[in-house]
Amino acid sequence: MLLLIQYTLIFSAVLILVALGGMFSERSGIINLGLEGIMVFGAMAGAMVMVLLPADASRPTIIILTLLAAAAAGMLSSLLIAVACINFKADQTLIGTALNMLATASATVIVKGFNTARSGGTDFSAKLDYVRGHNAFMFTIGKLQLSWFIVVAAILLVCAIIFFYKTKLALRIRACGEHPQAADSVGINVYAMRYIGVLMSGFLGGLGGIIYICAANSTWHFDYGVAGAGFLALAVMIFGQWKPERIAWSAVLFALFRSLSNVYMGIGFLHALPISGTVYNMFPYIVSLIVLAFTSQNSRAPKAEGIPYDKGAR
Amino acid sequence: MEDYVIEMLHITKEFPGIIANDDITLQLKRGEIHALLGENGAGKSTLMSVLFGLYTPEKGVIKKDGKEVKINNPNDATDLGIGMVHQHFMLVDIFTVLDNIILGSEPSKFGFLTKADARKKVLDLSNKYNLKVDPDALIEDITVGMQQRVEILKMLYRDNDILIFDEPTAVLTPQEIDELMKIMKDLAAEGKSILFITHKLNEIMEVADRCSILRKGKYIGTVDVKNTTKEELSSMMVGRNVKFAVDKVEAKPTDEVLKVENVCVKSKLHSNDSVHNVSFNVRAGEIVCIAGIDGNGQTEFVGALTGLDDISSGKITLCGEDITKKSIRYKNTHGMSHIPEDRHKHGLVLDYSLEENMILQRYFEPAFNNKGIIKKAEMRKYSDRLTKAFDVRSGQGPRTIVRSMSGGNQQKAIVAREMDRQHELLVAVQPTRGLDVGAIEYIHKEIVKERDAGKAILLVSLELDEVMNLSDRILVMYEGEIVGEVDPKTTTLQELGLYMSGAKRDNRKEAK
Amino acid sequence: MEKTSFFKRPAVQTLLASILCAVLGIIIGYIILLFMNAEHAGEGMAAILTNFFKYRIASQTTLMKYMGSFLVKSVPVILCAEAILFAYKAGLFNIGVAGQYTVGIIASLYTSLALGWNWFLCLIAAIVAGAVWGLIAGFFKAYCNVNEVIAGIMLNWIGLYICNIILGLPSCMNQSKSETYDIKDVNPAGLLPAFMREFFGKNEYMTIAIPITVIVAIVILVVLNKTTFGYELKATGHNKEAAKYSGMNAKRNIILTLVISGAIAGMAAGLYYLTGIEHFKIASSVPGMGFNGIAVAFLGGLHPIGAIIAGLFVEYITLGGQYLNTNYYNPQVADLMISIIIYLCGFVLFFRTILNRPGKVTVNANAEPATNTTDNKDKEKEV
Repeated sequence: MLLLIQYTLIFSAVLILVALGGMFSERSGIINLGLEGIMVFGAMAGAMVMVLLPADASRPTIIILTLLAAAAAGMLSSLLIAVACINFKADQTLIGTALNMLATASATVIVKGFNTARSGGTDFSAKLDYVRGHNAFMFTIGKLQLSWFIVVAAILLVCAIIFFYKTKLALRIRACGEHPQAADSVGINVYAMRYIGVLMSGFLGGLGGIIYICAANSTWHFDYGVAGAGFLALAVMIFGQWKPERIAWSAVLFALFRSLSNVYMGIGFLHALPISGTVYNMFPYIVSLIVLAFTSQNSRAPKAEGIPYDKGAR
Repeated sequence: MEDYVIEMLHITKEFPGIIANDDITLQLKRGEIHALLGENGAGKSTLMSVLFGLYTPEKGVIKKDGKEVKINNPNDATDLGIGMVHQHFMLVDIFTVLDNIILGSEPSKFGFLTKADARKKVLDLSNKYNLKVDPDALIEDITVGMQQRVEILKMLYRDNDILIFDEPTAVLTPQEIDELMKIMKDLAAEGKSILFITHKLNEIMEVADRCSILRKGKYIGTVDVKNTTKEELSSMMVGRNVKFAVDKVEAKPTDEVLKVENVCVKSKLHSNDSVHNVSFNVRAGEIVCIAGIDGNGQTEFVGALTGLDDISSGKITLCGEDITKKSIRYKNTHGMSHIPEDRHKHGLVLDYSLEENMILQRYFEPAFNNKGIIKKAEMRKYSDRLTKAFDVRSGQGPRTIVRSMSGGNQQKAIVAREMDRQHELLVAVQPTRGLDVGAIEYIHKEIVKERDAGKAILLVSLELDEVMNLSDRILVMYEGEIVGEVDPKTTTLQELGLYMSGAKRDNRKEAK
Repeated sequence: MEKTSFFKRPAVQTLLASILCAVLGIIIGYIILLFMNAEHAGEGMAAILTNFFKYRIASQTTLMKYMGSFLVKSVPVILCAEAILFAYKAGLFNIGVAGQYTVGIIASLYTSLALGWNWFLCLIAAIVAGAVWGLIAGFFKAYCNVNEVIAGIMLNWIGLYICNIILGLPSCMNQSKSETYDIKDVNPAGLLPAFMREFFGKNEYMTIAIPITVIVAIVILVVLNKTTFGYELKATGHNKEAAKYSGMNAKRNIILTLVISGAIAGMAAGLYYLTGIEHFKIASSVPGMGFNGIAVAFLGGLHPIGAIIAGLFVEYITLGGQYLNTNYYNPQVADLMISIIIYLCGFVLFFRTILNRPGKVTVNANAEPATNTTDNKDKEKEV
């Protein structure tokens, strides 16, 4: 049971951050299907930092540098979406999909190249091993083993809620996702707001990526991508009706189901059931499909999302 | 030397292929109400967009208080004190009134909104100019009239002293229009200078000091309103004399074609019905019009009638047959034609060619379909016949992509298609929206011809002139209910206005 | 009617834009090779581009044999692209092709290996499986308003896990090699009939899959452009509301489109796995075929025949990755190049506007000032 809570917390952290990222992007008017790819880039950068840091690096150094690297990589990769979708009015669905493929392919190439170079030509795998970095994030309260990642996610969640409802910038971003012409007519730079929205999704998505690969593992095969976690986050976002506090609750719900596949063996009655472990893997996807079926009918997505803004056309 | 607050001198703005503004000069005096008159497509909106920094002109200069200025974006315009109420309101539906007013000039401390001061300023302004609004209501919940007050407050909040009103009365009741006129006069008396864009002559006569006229992108002239007449203005606007009334003989209604009984439609936004207990009939050979302010359930009613939306209760009979639960296709093929409110959203597939659009509801009929294969030659022939009969003009004939056609010709194509189809009832929703006088006259004539050919016509319109000129009977819809039936020959605009604003209603419960 | 100049024709522009994407992708790929190992980059790129043509020196027969395998391997990606573009024409982004392809694998391999069915029935099973998977997505879209992209992704993963369970059964999976059995050994009747094997250097994988692929593309072309069904689908894709207004059954069309799209994707899997060229291994990520299909569909200008050409190109590059010298590079560089090409496909609209610069057609719904004034000019003549 303890394990279940542990996993639920860490997966919630992932889903909250990534779904909030998706939310800021969509609120600004850009559908971000590339969250998955952003997560991969963030995860790769974070894992690289953990591998590369010298053995005597202090814990805070590891934590801060890892998070910074992941966030920066996420933001850089989100620029690929921003440039194509905002400046060049590309199909947002296509670009998101392309970014996902690009991320997995380049992570594989880069990590393989990295391993080959480090091992002097003996290790050709796309696997990174970051036990030491992974452990630096762990701390325990009683019997509960927790990660600094959860703390970071909690802080960011609070910041996001305050930002979303209380600041000038968020008001402007939201206006751009609903009625960009109105925003433009009062002198708001729609392109800039959308860039900010997409970059925020890069920041949060990148962090989500590193947390995801550290959640249950201390090694990761980068040719796997992040196994649809980015899309689960999108489902969380829709379920959360594009509002930060609701996203937090739905993330916890989804995380619970996601955790079952990791811990069902430890839970007596679940383990006793005559179903294969693979079925539990399917669980979060089936649940999100069903949940979406019941919530999509009345969902109110930002009105202008998915529509490129053309300054010339009023 | 006159005291001009804004001068636009020799402005030329070109779009690919056409010149929208050709050497136009407009001078606005301090404290005056200056009307800008022209048909749809005369270049009024383009000119104002230039002034507001949305377009950059190819030629010409803009002067503020005699000094040349460059206006590259709305921010520059705002800095010069220019504000604009757009024809389509620039309001974010899910934001509150207050958020909409402050958007773009938000008071803030370290990036955090400080709304208290803003709220006070807005309330002060709203009291001073008698612009009643509820700062905490969401835009989607308030009336169009209040939305317009929000737009005006947006300008006042920014301390603008040059106010542009782009076709502000299109969506208002006669009473609301009177109120707006008074507000505009008050504002002018306070020293604000107002540019008032319109194509309605009565309003110009009532409120404006001077009037500049544009036609087909060219500047025609500026006149003092005191020294002119409606007739002079209208011939300057159109370039010829226009008859205001539609030629038509007395209607000779015969059999009942459409019967609507107690129709209700559930609202998508709130718990009330958006259409409530609507009953009426339309007979062959008459034009029945549903009048009312936009958003009072007309769209929803037409949706229920034509099948675009679900009907929650009631009964609709067409030519004696109950069609309440029938599909759109069934209604289309059993006597109903429908000129939709929004030609881009419903009426046309903009990326299809003209000929493909012409068979939009008929492609499956044996005339155009041979075992699942479209008969392209038949389609071409049919489209050629219709475009010729209804004078639809397009660049590349039947193969023209409809998106590249002008609004007037797009609408004519729809009218042609709907009138040619086998039908007993024509539902025409705002059939002349956004068209110029020539096209409006043409479509009105066609509708009257239809009536005289013995068809039943249900017209839904927001334009009171159209309602008064075209219809044989007028039903007024208010908050989803039919609140009155009047005869256009005996009623007045004022009476109609009272019905439309809900101030008056007949007790016509089961009158028939 | 004016004659449009050669470079203004939409088909020519699409072709040019696609070629531009492909060339740019190759150039960027070369730059990546330079970064990884500057010394051998030229050699590496040459290996990718020369590809199996290096066997032309060895013998004509070997070359043709490799050519045959290349064609066989192009089949699934081309068909996946056809599935995607078919749905896209109706306004649906069927990212679920990957999952529909996956359940196609399940059905074709399970029926041939475990049940020992005849090839024809196995192929039908694959098609039906894909169609059912498309049906689920279509149902959620039509009746519950679930975005087809999200539903598709979820179904992709569900399909993958089911695939792992079913094909992991002892009746299908050779546990010692942890891949599925050879159909050839277990059930020779499950293999597709041969096609022009002699010509292609006795390539045993050359089957009727190849002509079927071409036929499917042509059928899609005809359906989209000549039939009332295609007329409906494209109308729905361009403007859902207008399609509804004109009495088309939007829900039925959404479901039907995704069913057909899924069926094509399922067929892609059947036509590939039933040649025996590939075994299924337990996978932890959804087969990339469906995603590569997106690349191919867009690179081919969303045209059924264009998709064949683009499919051959993409498969050629992918194969080329295997000819890279693994001492310096890894074969995923080819995947990277392909994903860059898809990304560039997003800019096609932009490329086309560049080609259109002088005297353009405005693709702008709100260009009222422009259009109305033209209208007035018409009037002028009239008055």
